[in-house]
Amino acid sequence: MAPIGKPAGWEAKRSQALALGLAPALVVLTVITLGPAVYLVVTSLTPLNLVNPQSALDFSHPLGNYRDALTDTRFLNSVWVQIELSVATVVLQIAAGLATALLLNAHSRFLEAIRTAFLIPMVLPPIVVAIIWKVIYTPDVSPVHRALAALGLPLASLIANADSAIWAIVVADSWEWFPFTMLMTLAALQMIPSEPIEAATIDGASRLQLFRYIVLPYIRPTLVVCALFRLIDSIKAFPLIYVLTNGGPGTATEVTNYYGFQQAFNFSYWGYGSAIATMMVAGVFMLSSIIGRLDQRLGDNA
Amino acid sequence: MTLLAIVLFPFLWMLQMSFRPNDDIMGYSVRFVPTMQNYLSLWTGNFPKSFANSVAVSSSSTVLSLLIGVPAAYALSRGRFRRRRAIAMWILATRMAPPIAFTIPFFLAYRYLHLIDTVAGLVIIYLTFNLALVIWMMQGFFNSVPRQLEEAAWIDGCTVWGTFRRIALPLAAPGLAATAVLCFILSWNDFFFALILTRTSAMTAPVAIVNFMQYEGWEWGKIAAAGTLVMLPVLVFTFLVRTYLVRGLTAGGLKE
Repeated sequence: MAPIGKPAGWEAKRSQALALGLAPALVVLTVITLGPAVYLVVTSLTPLNLVNPQSALDFSHPLGNYRDALTDTRFLNSVWVQIELSVATVVLQIAAGLATALLLNAHSRFLEAIRTAFLIPMVLPPIVVAIIWKVIYTPDVSPVHRALAALGLPLASLIANADSAIWAIVVADSWEWFPFTMLMTLAALQMIPSEPIEAATIDGASRLQLFRYIVLPYIRPTLVVCALFRLIDSIKAFPLIYVLTNGGPGTATEVTNYYGFQQAFNFSYWGYGSAIATMMVAGVFMLSSIIGRLDQRLGDNA
Repeated sequence: MTLLAIVLFPFLWMLQMSFRPNDDIMGYSVRFVPTMQNYLSLWTGNFPKSFANSVAVSSSSTVLSLLIGVPAAYALSRGRFRRRRAIAMWILATRMAPPIAFTIPFFLAYRYLHLIDTVAGLVIIYLTFNLALVIWMMQGFFNSVPRQLEEAAWIDGCTVWGTFRRIALPLAAPGLAATAVLCFILSWNDFFFALILTRTSAMTAPVAIVNFMQYEGWEWGKIAAAGTLVMLPVLVFTFLVRTYLVRGLTAGGLKE
């Protein structure tokens, strides 16, 4: 509704002016996101590589890369490693984030100051996080390894062992990202009305019962959204793997993202790398559409 | 408190390592003479140049994405566009997409455009995440600026963009500052794009650290010192704008 006293043409002029402000951003976004997306999908249909640059326009076997991927055991292994890593880190982060949020959820100056300190792992440059954990995991310099050795419990390097390497990454990644769940949960906790908690306390509910029947139902939607967000982001994990294990030992920590990176930039199989990236994008969008639907449902209930 | 100590222990350990003399890098004792030796040895290498590159790339990308993104956010907040929802989804999708999906096409295109290993090339690819972030965050901040003032200004004969500049923008200034800081941090923290798209002349600080590790052997003191320098600006900014930062870090996850 146009406010009274303005000519009708003014509203149209205003819309036009606003559209003019929006246009540059849309043009730039199209060039830097839609353009590359199309280019990626097109490249994924070709056998493009460094040895044969002419193959950029070779569409004789458009689905060849995808067919190869399905029989490539290294690719299938990377998908499995990815699932393991993602599920483990998300579970650990949610647990740690929820626990710290519950501990810090009180109104005191002191706790509020501490909360900011807990954010440090999340805002640190990922490469610094990787260095920090490289120090912790390298027996020669690690304070943990040396402390254990001094106690007579020497520990072999975790990242050099195929069975434990992935768990070493899980711990480091969860350390980096648990503050995200903590932040979101704290925000959700502060929106819980105080009446039901007071009523239950008067009725003699234990702290565990309080949490189980009152707090948890309130924050469950937030936890679900957190988990899905972290699930999507866990697919991007790169610096930790690059610095700590380089995908190894063998292919023990080679996640799909890392495998795609190697195919494209170490071996220069750009066509195959693009196919892997395209499948990753498809997977991510499927996960996001689940979030979108959940978000809507949660919004309707609220 | 104990929890905090445990959580921050790995971080503090690196910090103290950076001040230890090289012959005592493994030492446990709290009583050591702090030295700037590691930092000085960084100063003489290529590290200052990479650090300068990081500053240049991050600040240009921040300025550019604000210039393009802030008016767009204002338009989305004030105007009624039919495809609003589609635009919002598109912006969210950009945030979700794995970086490798951008890197391959950008790498191939940059080889033709001679943008590999240039500051400009990095600035452009950083727009892929910064622009979406600016539009997303600033739209929220503009939504919370009351419209009555703007309507008064229009009646007084101010143009749409005049109102934006004189009224909406100053009122959203704290949000603008927080958005700028977040853009800067995201670009500063990037490792993946810089690793692939730079070689020597446009190398950023995070990539330079990894190069120490791979080519100069394990000089832990130097690595720790470089890590400390790289995280310093991020930590300072975080504590300066922590309240608003929380909003940006959780952007998209919580309903505004």
